[in-house]
Amino acid sequence: MSKSIESKANKRRYPPFWEKFIPAAVVILTLIIAVLIFITIRIAMGLAVLPF
Amino acid sequence: MDFMNTILPFGSSLVSFGFAVLILRRYLERKGLHLLLWGIGMIFYGIGGFCEGYYGAIGWNPFVFRIWYLFGAILVAAWLGQGTVYLLAKKSWAHGLMVLLVLGSIYGAVRVFGAELDPSLMTSSLHTGSEMSGHAIVTTGVRSLTPFFNLYGTIALVGGAVYSAWIFWRKRVLLHRSIGNILIAVGAILPAFGGTFSRMGFSGALYITEFLGAILIFLGFMRATTPIEESKE
Repeated sequence: MSKSIESKANKRRYPPFWEKFIPAAVVILTLIIAVLIFITIRIAMGLAVLPF
Repeated sequence: MDFMNTILPFGSSLVSFGFAVLILRRYLERKGLHLLLWGIGMIFYGIGGFCEGYYGAIGWNPFVFRIWYLFGAILVAAWLGQGTVYLLAKKSWAHGLMVLLVLGSIYGAVRVFGAELDPSLMTSSLHTGSEMSGHAIVTTGVRSLTPFFNLYGTIALVGGAVYSAWIFWRKRVLLHRSIGNILIAVGAILPAFGGTFSRMGFSGALYITEFLGAILIFLGFMRATTPIEESKE
């Protein structure tokens, strides 16, 4: 018998690994997006060279 | 046949087309404009990969180059991102942005197909010389369209996936969607790194990251749409 994890939402916890991994990944990816936006804006303004 | 410049991009193309078929079948079953746009976006991804493989196997062809630049360099991220916009934003906003995207895409197509090309610049560019490069477009104002589309696509697709993962984590619900969105975000961001590394002289970096990106986006989508089963103790 198996049970979907959604039905355990009332516990309000992810498994320990994901509990730490998800926010860490979110923070890192957000920083990467910010850098990419910065680079893209520089390219759009003609301050850097286009990669493509 | 060279693995790095031919088989790898053909592989990306195959994965992308296969994924597009899966998404579009799901769209026909369940509807939802986000599925339709993701499907179209993955077709663009596949077209880009196919053109790269064609260039590696056969060589320069102006029509294939224009198709590659339009779909692979300009439109793919923006159309995938538009799917996420339909999933997360208000319908009225999504429709408005969709109109802008369609008009922008038509303008981009007209500019790319009307541009003057110099194939010799593809091998003398800052790139490694083995990969396709937009430097072959010599008409001004065409390549400068790319960052605007890619900025929109990155914010919408990667930003949307990261935002979704964060929301699910905060509520501690739907772990599979949290994981799936992280995979999609990483997969979508990889080709941007590939482009940068390619510029720095790492041969094949773009094609490797495009291949890995297609696989990660596919795995992310499958993970996000498949609930995690947990054995009862």
